[in-house]
Amino acid sequence: MAAGSPHRRAGQPITDPFATAWLVEDDPLRAIQVGGPLRSPPGTGFADGIQRWMVEGHFGLAPVVRAYVAAAVLTRRDGSLAMAAEEHEEFIVVPGERLTTEQRDALDRVGLPVYESDTSARVHPLVDQYAAARIVETRRETAERKAVRRFVDAEPTSWLVMDGSVGHLTGGPGAERVIGLVKSHETQYLEGADLLTALTLREGCRSSVFERSRAGGTPVYSWYLRLWPWTERDLLHGLTRLERWADRTTLEEATLVSRWMLGERAPISTPDASWDRLIYPIHHIETYLRARMGGWN
Amino acid sequence: MVATELLPSSPYQFHFWTATDATIGIGAIVRVDDGAGRIVHAVIVDGRAYSDLPTPLHEVVAAEGNPAAQPPPTRRVEIRLWTAAVLRQEPPEPVQPVPLATVHLATESDVEIALRMDAYVRAEPSTAIPIGIYSAGGMRAPVYLDADFLLGPESAHLNINGVSGLATKTSAVLFLLSSIFAHFPRSKGQIAAVCFNVKGPDLTFLDQPAALTAADREMYAALGIPAEPFKAVRFYAPFKADGVNLNTLRSHPDLAGSVEPLVWGLREVLDFAEVLLNRDDIDAKADAFLDFLGDRVVGKTFRDEWGGQHRVESFAGLERLFRAIFDGLESAGGRDMWRTHHVATIRKVRNRLLNISTRCKGLVTDDDTAHDLPFGAFDDRALYVIDVAGVDQLGQDLVFTRVVSKLREHLERRDLGVDHVVVFVDELNKYAPADGPETYVRRMLLDISERGRYLGLVLFGAQQFRSQVHRRVVGNASTTIYGRMDSDELAMPGYQTISAATKSKLATLPKGELMVRHPHFAHPIFLKFPRPAALAGRQGIERFPPAPDVPFGEAVARQLRVLDRRIAASGVQDLIDGHREVDVRSALLATRRARPRDPLAFFAARLRPSIPRRTADGGDQSAVQPLKPVEDPYAP
Repeated sequence: MAAGSPHRRAGQPITDPFATAWLVEDDPLRAIQVGGPLRSPPGTGFADGIQRWMVEGHFGLAPVVRAYVAAAVLTRRDGSLAMAAEEHEEFIVVPGERLTTEQRDALDRVGLPVYESDTSARVHPLVDQYAAARIVETRRETAERKAVRRFVDAEPTSWLVMDGSVGHLTGGPGAERVIGLVKSHETQYLEGADLLTALTLREGCRSSVFERSRAGGTPVYSWYLRLWPWTERDLLHGLTRLERWADRTTLEEATLVSRWMLGERAPISTPDASWDRLIYPIHHIETYLRARMGGWN
Repeated sequence: MVATELLPSSPYQFHFWTATDATIGIGAIVRVDDGAGRIVHAVIVDGRAYSDLPTPLHEVVAAEGNPAAQPPPTRRVEIRLWTAAVLRQEPPEPVQPVPLATVHLATESDVEIALRMDAYVRAEPSTAIPIGIYSAGGMRAPVYLDADFLLGPESAHLNINGVSGLATKTSAVLFLLSSIFAHFPRSKGQIAAVCFNVKGPDLTFLDQPAALTAADREMYAALGIPAEPFKAVRFYAPFKADGVNLNTLRSHPDLAGSVEPLVWGLREVLDFAEVLLNRDDIDAKADAFLDFLGDRVVGKTFRDEWGGQHRVESFAGLERLFRAIFDGLESAGGRDMWRTHHVATIRKVRNRLLNISTRCKGLVTDDDTAHDLPFGAFDDRALYVIDVAGVDQLGQDLVFTRVVSKLREHLERRDLGVDHVVVFVDELNKYAPADGPETYVRRMLLDISERGRYLGLVLFGAQQFRSQVHRRVVGNASTTIYGRMDSDELAMPGYQTISAATKSKLATLPKGELMVRHPHFAHPIFLKFPRPAALAGRQGIERFPPAPDVPFGEAVARQLRVLDRRIAASGVQDLIDGHREVDVRSALLATRRARPRDPLAFFAARLRPSIPRRTADGGDQSAVQPLKPVEDPYAP
């Protein structure tokens, strides 16, 4: 979901390339011109999180990973973004089963929370790091959930646009005001003509809403939206996927929400490489959180 | 504070950021306290603002090429990054880069420390002279100059520059003079000021109150200066060519009596003849002859080789001497040398000298009556205004040179009446230009600027363009004031130490604000000052419109009424009827100089016999005659 995920490197295989979806608005899926951009409602919040980790040392072959995660919600009033909710945590991740009591005591004296990562039967340094990174990612998601929940509870009428999936929020109070903005298209839910329609949307068009599968969770409604023209570029250029709770209102408001997102195209979030999908307020949260993590930069 | 490898802190400069709505700007004083005993005061000299926009092209893309597109919903994050120049570090040693700490807006006491004013504001006796109010972020603090560095002996002189009409140069100087008169410590001696009014009515109503706003009065109160015009002002002006109407715009009947005539005769002028003669005139031979006249002839009894005895006290007397010399040489068979001086040199000097009274008519008189400044009896905290606005450049040069020279002479002898004199000269670029031929006036100004502080003679000079004034004159001014500046002038090399942002502020400085450089201030400081409590020339003219010139007799009566208001014009007219105007003028000047109890009686007694004395050939003895009179072919 957020920047700084350490386990994905270019050239590595995608873990979950395909998933299932059910069309809920139109069948077959179609491209819908949403109209011009609109200003999102005043007081809209924007949420994102970051994570950083590094191997501080080893106990034998066991890596000691020090990590930092943070999440924030900024709210926009009169064009300016201001802090609304913030969470951060610094901690240590170790393969706990491989540590001695003395080594654990030494880590406790550091004064930071210690989380244990999974261990495999045979030692593999990269697999150990991957396991630690999974813990870091989980902690970051937790921080994001906390920050988002605080905002949603504190601002009972405000909308919230968060970077990534809304899956974990769809069941709670205020879920109807949360919009997920997904930039990554690692997992494809559509196929055939529907996929062709979705991936070749023209600028300012959205796809019909579909329900995507979500393992063990409440259903989520989703649709694609093209923010910037992709012609002569990558198919995914300017293509976002929006998520909301699975409710009739999502179908009714999909076009309106899409127009809000089109309204967020300016300012451009350059120099971020994913500027074509990353809206400026989310980009600003990342800048904000990176600036506040001090020596972790 | 922020410090990066590309933008590090140094012992003289550092950088910090503020909120975009912070009420500070260029010229604000700030304080850095590292909490470990090191305190740094600095002044903001530059500011930058930028957003996270990598290139302007991205803005074009975001607006899809439409500059009129609706503004984006989110404003880009913006930084206000300031650069501050260090004014003072405590402790001063060792000199170190400014520590990374929080930056605060300076308080009133911080301003005092930052500008090193604590050394003289809190001294006993204090030598602090208020110069204006520093203000930033809603905080106001008085700023003081050190009298020892403004008026000597440590350093001295003030130079003020800025464009005409907007820089408030004259206002600033008048306000500062008020401040000096109010705050110059008595223990340092007595002080007076001499101002040359060189254009219009600028300085001719300084004894009259000006309209002040509440804000002005508040500033006067904050600075401890009475908001009132100058209490003791003496105005001097030469006569017009008629010799009785004063050459000044301060001629309104309500005020005319307060203007003293400034009239000089041969004795006053001869020592400064060099001012009036161009460079070609002053060769070694002419100079030697002038010295001869000054040393051996003027004011002394002189016997010529032909039995004549001369007592040269005036231009008329000098003319008689020249005529005797030429007649004597001619009678001696056409000799061409007289007392080692060639007759051509004598003729040249005679022509130039006798021409002075013509060129400076009204200021220089043919006879021996003079009316001068009260050298030797200057009053403490008095302002002497010499109005030469109506006099041509040559006359202005003469007045300026002679007055300043006399001030210097008396200050050297410690018998001027005061211990310090401030001389205010506007249009300094005219008197001490950076280039052009060497002149007597420029040499004198250089001398004052380099030696004046030892004597108590302090030069306050003003000009539009500092770059056009001689470097040694402006360089010796310890205190410099900048009003609104011309941007072309600011591009000159002399301003390269001033930051671009400060220059930008200088180029748009509103009236009533100035930037001051003083030896105690490590960097120039922007200040506000109230408008002078004395009436400005333009308003003065509206309130006191100048009276038209009056006929000779009435003008004489008006002059006498200054001494006794009961004197009637008709009585004066009866007295002067039948007298030559030159005699009337002489009697008038003698009366004004003497200030007798019964002016009219004194005047009548001084009037010479009504029958004019005539030479053997019937000419008027007082008038300058042509050297070789020719017969008028058209005479009846």
